[in-house]
Amino acid sequence: MIIHSFFFYFFSIIAIFSSLMVITSRSTINSVFFLILDFISVGCLFIMVGAEFLGMILLIVYVGAVAVLFLFVVMMLNVAEQKQSWFIGKKSTHIPTGLIVSVLILLELLVVVGGWKYKENVMSSSTLVMSKISNTHQLGLVMYTDYILYFQLAGVVLLLAMIGAILLTFRKRIGVKKQSYFTQISRTPSTSIELKDVKSNEGIKLDD
Amino acid sequence: MIYNLNIIFPEIFLSLSIFSVLMIGVFIKKSFNLIFNLTSLIIIITIMIISSSPNDTEKVFSESFTRDAFSNYFKILILLSSLFVLNSSKNFIVENKLDKFEYPIIILLSILGMFFMVSANDLILFYLGLELQSLSLYILASIDRDNLRSTESGIKYFVLSALSSGLLLYGCSLLYGFTGSTNFDLIASQLNKENTGAVFAMVFILVGLAFKVSAVPFHMWTPDVYEGAPTSITSYFAVVPKTAGLALLIKFMFIPFSNILLEWQTIIIFISIASMILGAVAAMIQKNFKRLLAYSSIGHIGYALAGVATGTISGYKSTIVYITIYVIMNIGAFSCLYLLKKDGQYKENISDLSGISKKHPLLAISLLIILFSLAGIPPLGGFFAKFYVFVAVIEKEMYALAIIGLLTTVLSAFYYLKIIKTIYFDDSLIAFESTKNRTAQISILASCSILITFFLYPSILNNLVDTLFIG
Repeated sequence: MIIHSFFFYFFSIIAIFSSLMVITSRSTINSVFFLILDFISVGCLFIMVGAEFLGMILLIVYVGAVAVLFLFVVMMLNVAEQKQSWFIGKKSTHIPTGLIVSVLILLELLVVVGGWKYKENVMSSSTLVMSKISNTHQLGLVMYTDYILYFQLAGVVLLLAMIGAILLTFRKRIGVKKQSYFTQISRTPSTSIELKDVKSNEGIKLDD
Repeated sequence: MIYNLNIIFPEIFLSLSIFSVLMIGVFIKKSFNLIFNLTSLIIIITIMIISSSPNDTEKVFSESFTRDAFSNYFKILILLSSLFVLNSSKNFIVENKLDKFEYPIIILLSILGMFFMVSANDLILFYLGLELQSLSLYILASIDRDNLRSTESGIKYFVLSALSSGLLLYGCSLLYGFTGSTNFDLIASQLNKENTGAVFAMVFILVGLAFKVSAVPFHMWTPDVYEGAPTSITSYFAVVPKTAGLALLIKFMFIPFSNILLEWQTIIIFISIASMILGAVAAMIQKNFKRLLAYSSIGHIGYALAGVATGTISGYKSTIVYITIYVIMNIGAFSCLYLLKKDGQYKENISDLSGISKKHPLLAISLLIILFSLAGIPPLGGFFAKFYVFVAVIEKEMYALAIIGLLTTVLSAFYYLKIIKTIYFDDSLIAFESTKNRTAQISILASCSILITFFLYPSILNNLVDTLFIG
């Protein structure tokens, strides 16, 4: 149990630290890296509570796709070098607004958590009957049986999204010179070399 | 299991053929014509499969998918109307360089989405179908990607529709939270007036659905999207998704929300009246024919919703008859737009129609029939559509709704007649090219002949619709 709580605090501290770094670090690229670290540690926390599917999905979707996309956008748009004037200088009007919003959210959280604490008939999570099957297995059991129609239809929706993205953005460029190995190799001297007799003192005209 | 899959066979066939056609399109260069013809073939085969499948109610996939007479009727209506819309717009597509092979494939995918919408008996399935359909429509709206107006309409539709999808999902999650199920039948058994949270959820779902059928006050996107998108897409927008959206609305009112009739009735009555009034008033000042048709479609949705507002079986039936005739009229109206070609450009202003009766008498007379029918003048089909709706409304003794509906009919007749006046009595300005657009002409002919002869045998459609609510 001690080892369990050790791991819990380890990942939680990393998660909190990296999420703080996301909003305070100067370089946008560093922010994105810390965001990835944050996702990974939260994913580990999910795995620790036995929701290994959720944890893995978090890694695949957020780290594998969303964060990498962020990284691309940051690098493409060249915002990495922008000076952060949010907290520095006289014009930083963001802090009061941000403080008000944060305090409000904190109060709301207190009300929610407090209301939950004193609510009657709340089942403690320790009373849950945990089945022996892992939840990836459980999802797999229904995904291809009870929910097969939804699953396949969702696949068709994704296919359509792909077709649409290609249709609306793919452009054939005109005037691009492409290398074709076949035509290169199949060239013979007779198709590309022309022999001409050059009379003396007259020369020849090229490219006519 | 094999028995189960038979029930969903049209959907399976449609999706497999979409995938194979997609492969053909990827590997064969310049395959628009081939894919277009294959698409028409797929649609025809699917119509045959559905019409040969039995009409008794069957539910599969833990009762989330229903096949019954209702869904079969709407599927055939969707397929037939997309077949006509696609084929009549083929020349337009090719001439405006929209002939990418993805075009018909995305249309097929949206049809697949609509299939699941009309067959859904579960919140998850209904939402997935709706998203498949709307995602295809966003892509289609901005398919002319080098045209500023087309891309603008696509973005506008995407942003607003995503917002409405959010509201819809919020409603779905509330409904699931307060009733404990996503299944329509179970929701119906859990819903009652005391379940305030679920009534609240119903409002959100209604807002989302009203957006999808473009009923006032959620109609803002309609005129801009209709005007901006290429005409071939606009005609698809005006006809097919409206049918599916209305079918979904009827289904929601008929199954999960049947116990809270009084709660949703007032909302639908308001939406219906507002749509009828806005459709009639705002269309008067329009100069663009597509924009005018957008406002007219808002008005028509108002009349169709008046039938839903009664909350009776006869009301729902009248709505189904209405939407069927609406589809026929709009296919004709948009096909006329494909014939208005001058110097390689398609004209879409009402002033361009000025005096075409002298040079194009056939086109003029078909526009006359379609516009009279849209205005609801007897003995054309449009009159009977409105007639059945108002009969259902008056049977339920909702006189205010009926009176407002009749008054707006008179108002809207003004702008339809104004176009007819432009066609017949104004000076002839331009002569259009005599195009050999046979498919569009066939669509107009079919539309006009159904509208003219509808009064001879109205019972054919009525008897068909009568069978839909037995199961």
